[in-house]
Amino acid sequence: MTSGTAFPGDDPRELLSGTRELTRQVRRTQRATWFPLLVLAAVTFAAVPFRYSPHRLGTCAATDTVRVCTAYPPALLVYWPTALVLAYVVIAAFYIRRSQARGVGTRVRPYVVAGIILALAMTGSLVWTLYHPLAFTLAGPGLFSAGPALHSYSFAIGLALVVLAWAERNGALLALALGYLAVVLVTATVGPVSGHGLLGWPVQLVIPGSVLLLGGIGFLLAQRPWRRAA
Amino acid sequence: MTSHPANGLDDIVHQRVRLGILTIAHEARRVEFSYLRDTLGLTAGNLSQHLGVLETAGLIAIEKGYAGKRARTWVTLTKAGQAALEDEIAQLKLLISRIEPAGTSPS
Repeated sequence: MTSGTAFPGDDPRELLSGTRELTRQVRRTQRATWFPLLVLAAVTFAAVPFRYSPHRLGTCAATDTVRVCTAYPPALLVYWPTALVLAYVVIAAFYIRRSQARGVGTRVRPYVVAGIILALAMTGSLVWTLYHPLAFTLAGPGLFSAGPALHSYSFAIGLALVVLAWAERNGALLALALGYLAVVLVTATVGPVSGHGLLGWPVQLVIPGSVLLLGGIGFLLAQRPWRRAA
Repeated sequence: MTSHPANGLDDIVHQRVRLGILTIAHEARRVEFSYLRDTLGLTAGNLSQHLGVLETAGLIAIEKGYAGKRARTWVTLTKAGQAALEDEIAQLKLLISRIEPAGTSPS
């Protein structure tokens, strides 16, 4: 009895569906989405105490009509790039170790490279802004803190997660990353531009950090890493 | 008259186990012997035979090494293997479209 193919026993539909199932199986084995989410949640929460670190006056500049000065917390400016680069190194090490234990390659490199580049680019951008106070002139005259802008590192975390979703071909992570970016943008408007609001900074960290934490727990339960993939 | 898509199939790739090896190596970038053996449900000897066929054809590269004291064999897809896999998938899709009336594709 023919199945309609020139290769009995090698039905093209079965072969094709078999390749799709194998692809899904390999992706399930490779994914460890929960780990970077939990690490980055910890990095985000650990940044909260720096909200209370002392500010240092940056530079001042004036036009004919306004005079603008910037201030920034040096500890936070050091914390974010250092913590993020270390976090990405830890994430890469985890994925590589896991890959060797499970016997399948890893797709983490684009994510780690993108994450480190974004962290460093964000730092460069912020340092430039500190020395170009007139970038704040749209907000009017006065003293402007770069503190809230420093929390835009949360945005860099979200962009890197989009890269991880692409690398892992992970639709659920893409949805989470886009939702996270939306939360970061919304919470960025909570505090006043000057960043001296009592709740401004913590909210800008705690809410996005909570999204990462809950997402990490969700993926941990879904991926169940304690059950070795077949 | 165009040739039947079955004529475009490569006998080396158009085989359930070897297609599985190429698919896994493509998705995993680099895959260890034991993962292939367990995932495809093969004996070590059977898998070695199929790997030998694919390596001889230049579709995979085999690298042997150690992880601690444990010997490991890693398999990677070559560019020729990547092209052969893509061609096989395209031919399978073409074949299915030829043998199935429109609108009756399997879920």
